Amino acid sequence: MILLALLAIALSGAGLVAAGFPDRAVDRTDRALRISLGAAFGLGSWSAAYAAARMVGVSATVKDLVLAFLGAALLLAARPRLSADPTPRDPAPRWLWSLLAAACALAVAVFFEHDWRFPDGGWDAWMVWNLRARFLVRAPDLRTAFSPNLLFWAHPDYPWLVPGAVAQGFVLAGRETMAVPQMIAGTFGVLAAGVVSLALARLHGPRWGLLGALAILTVPAFPIFVSNQQADVPLSVYLACAASLIALAYARPDRPFRMLLLAGFAAGLGAWTKNEGTLYAACLAAGLLARTRDLRGTLAFVAGAVPAGALVVVFKTAYAPANDLVRFSSGAGLLAHAFDPLRWGELLFQALRRLVFFQTFALWLIAAVLALSVWVRRLPGTPVGTALFLATAAYLPIYLLQPHPLQWLFRTSVDRLILQLWPAAVLATIAALANAVGRPSRGSPRFSQVPGSPGV
Amino acid sequence: MTAQRITAAVAVLAVVGMLRAGWLHFVSEPLHDFRRERIDPRYAAIKALLPRSGEVGYVSDERVATGPFGIDASSAGTRLFEQAQYALAPLVLRYDDDHAPLVVANLADPAKLPEILLQKRLIVIAEAGPGIAVLRPQ
Repeated sequence: MILLALLAIALSGAGLVAAGFPDRAVDRTDRALRISLGAAFGLGSWSAAYAAARMVGVSATVKDLVLAFLGAALLLAARPRLSADPTPRDPAPRWLWSLLAAACALAVAVFFEHDWRFPDGGWDAWMVWNLRARFLVRAPDLRTAFSPNLLFWAHPDYPWLVPGAVAQGFVLAGRETMAVPQMIAGTFGVLAAGVVSLALARLHGPRWGLLGALAILTVPAFPIFVSNQQADVPLSVYLACAASLIALAYARPDRPFRMLLLAGFAAGLGAWTKNEGTLYAACLAAGLLARTRDLRGTLAFVAGAVPAGALVVVFKTAYAPANDLVRFSSGAGLLAHAFDPLRWGELLFQALRRLVFFQTFALWLIAAVLALSVWVRRLPGTPVGTALFLATAAYLPIYLLQPHPLQWLFRTSVDRLILQLWPAAVLATIAALANAVGRPSRGSPRFSQVPGSPGV
Repeated sequence: MTAQRITAAVAVLAVVGMLRAGWLHFVSEPLHDFRRERIDPRYAAIKALLPRSGEVGYVSDERVATGPFGIDASSAGTRLFEQAQYALAPLVLRYDDDHAPLVVANLADPAKLPEILLQKRLIVIAEAGPGIAVLRPQ
């Protein structure tokens, strides 16, 4: 059973990546990037397929067999002859590698220290995600996990990519050991830094990849959120996968549709991870269309999001109770909140205060805002940058209009939202800075920035 | 702006972030914070007394937020409720339902059990630890 599950994860991930890239991996950076993407896709597909199988009453063994078979078929069908272009050469100084090694060691130490201090994970881990995994494993009827009689704190309307993976891990382990959610959380943490770092290295050279990894690993909140076993870091991984694939696709003159399909698939898995993922998928599609005017490319992205998106639709219509933000809202409340100047002022104050919230983000947020406002805003807009801007802007009306006390909701949610967006924001910002300081030496003109192309 | 300057700036930001994380986790927290208890042991005994699935009532001496009103002031009661829900899943706990055939009492202050019994007209079926008991309506 364990071997079959591992095969299903590995083959589906490898098959999707093989189908999404039009050429063969050319060097270690390229291979490492594809392995990281494959791991994220494999885990996500394994969990999404579990949800679909539970809803239609198919056993986990049959589901894994089908997944492994489909993955193997994709792998065999997509055997490109051409090699990809070499990764650009912009070597990083040795001291930067040492700093990255120290950052990795510290992040791992913080992960285990926090895990020891909070043995059941963060609040949301036991209140939402691992609670759902327990329901999935223990309840004789699937619908019990989404009972409308559960208090809204359990968020029974949330999609269940993470609980689905944890529940399957519990079953495979034969007991509900905390090692399962810890391992899954750790894997997604590694992938969050790995995907962005390797995509930057692939696009601009190793120096920029290392800077991307440092900008993720040394955010003080990052290893804590990984250790908390919540769904925010997995969501950030799928957003980063989608952003990386869009960036890679538009850095090529042929702009392969299959890469955009795969980017859409990643965005769909994000939507199956957390409700915010649907917003990010829509923002990526809007950013793509706005910055590239490439309707066919945008449609390919949307088509890629359809499988996981359909799962979200079926779950929301057939299983999930109403979301608390909807359930507790009224027309009068929405109007009152929209025209309350104190609420606007409070939101502005809380947002500005968070920018300089040293405890959680050290100097990273303020540095990002400075970089965006001083340098990056002068550069041409990009699909990913535009998508992140749209997503951030969308949170303004959401915070203003939602029914909970503003200060409480902002305090308990904004760090999670920032962490969800952070890896993709690091990708977009560092790629823009790399473009701004000039092109490093390129391996081949085929991989060069297309004149007038939107970059990242 | 050069690649070297950007590298240096990111390195400085990274060092500041690492110092902050190192200070919090390996200096400040060991001095001022404590290790949380595992959730399940508190509920192990009562779990054996309850059905494996279905719904049961839940009462407590701490208020649980059931909507936006007073959400910030009820975190202790909410935490107690949600921890019980986590431990006892797939049983669904119905907050403040004191008419259910079985009711879980989960109290922050065990001394308040007689007061709760009187107020809610419940009787004890079995106590399963300090502040935790299975009740039923009188």
